[in-house]
Amino acid sequence: MKLEDCKVVFAAVGLIGVLILASPTLGLVLHLPGGEKFSELWVLGPGHMAEDYPFNVRENGSYLVYVGVGNHMGSSTYYVVYVKFRNETEPLPNATTGAPSVLAPLYEYRVFLEDRGNSEVPLAFSFSNVSFSGNQSTVGSLTVNGVPFGVDKSVSWDAVNSGYYYELFMELWIYDPASDGFSFHNRFVSRWLNMTASVFMTGS
Amino acid sequence: MKRVLRVSVSFLLVIALVGLFSHGVFVVCGADEASSSVGEADVAVRRAFNATLDAERAGANVSGLILRLNEAGGILAEAEMALGNGNSSEAFSKAVQCVGIAQSVKSEADVLKASALDGARTVFWTFLTFSVAGIVVFVVVLMLVWRWFKRGYVGKMLSMKPEVTTGEA
Repeated sequence: MKLEDCKVVFAAVGLIGVLILASPTLGLVLHLPGGEKFSELWVLGPGHMAEDYPFNVRENGSYLVYVGVGNHMGSSTYYVVYVKFRNETEPLPNATTGAPSVLAPLYEYRVFLEDRGNSEVPLAFSFSNVSFSGNQSTVGSLTVNGVPFGVDKSVSWDAVNSGYYYELFMELWIYDPASDGFSFHNRFVSRWLNMTASVFMTGS
Repeated sequence: MKRVLRVSVSFLLVIALVGLFSHGVFVVCGADEASSSVGEADVAVRRAFNATLDAERAGANVSGLILRLNEAGGILAEAEMALGNGNSSEAFSKAVQCVGIAQSVKSEADVLKASALDGARTVFWTFLTFSVAGIVVFVVVLMLVWRWFKRGYVGKMLSMKPEVTTGEA
């Protein structure tokens, strides 16, 4: 090996050594970009599993699901989950444009999560002032976690799916510290509910 | 007239005495007052969250603050729903409770941030000192090794006998 080649080897060893010795300090100053930032929203049945969701519902019956939120945004995050209720003619959020449903929220959860944290909250609901007339069903009041809300929604008989279908859905909103406001996070989950006049077994 | 005045004064005195000796607090407020209180609570929670986020970015452990923010957020949600359902008194009392928690979280977050920044500064200077000292020692040692190696290499080259080879056709 020539002396010039040995010089190059020594220089390389020196450079690597300097980088290794400087790495603890560089680690404090340089912040590498993290992975993909996203949030999760899910709904589970009464046993915290994706099964046994309430489907056939009736007046004064008590039903339970769990709503979950997961944070992978790289820092602590402030979320609001809005619970909304609609009949089949009213709009859902638009996933393409990222616009939330125009319906007013009934119930809300405010959730603060650290990065990689998640939270599951119960959503117990029941219906009252339910009436059936001709081929129409009307729900007068929806109680969520003990708080009653006047909803006054009507649906017509769905001949194809044989039922009176309402939809309970949850939208995820996120707080942006830069604008000091909340925006729809383009995530929502929903459950179809078939309003019945008599007692049915629950199940999906 | 005097009788009416006497009755009114007596009534006010009774109210004042009941207020003085009761342990509870009677809150009577209108929808506007409740609405503005809920708005204040909303702002207080946002400020508390922003302070918590700043503390987290400074390197503080904010798990405890997040728990208390969840408590404040739950109360704020209850206040907003009570306001929506026309229950102004409940909305007002929940909003006041929420502001109390949010302000305490913000104060604690500010203290944690200052403490985390101090700690981070100390850690940075300690690391920088050790890194610079380590690099200086490493470079000096490497240069000494290089000089020793170079001397040995040159000496070895000079001590070699020249060899002449003849090519045979």
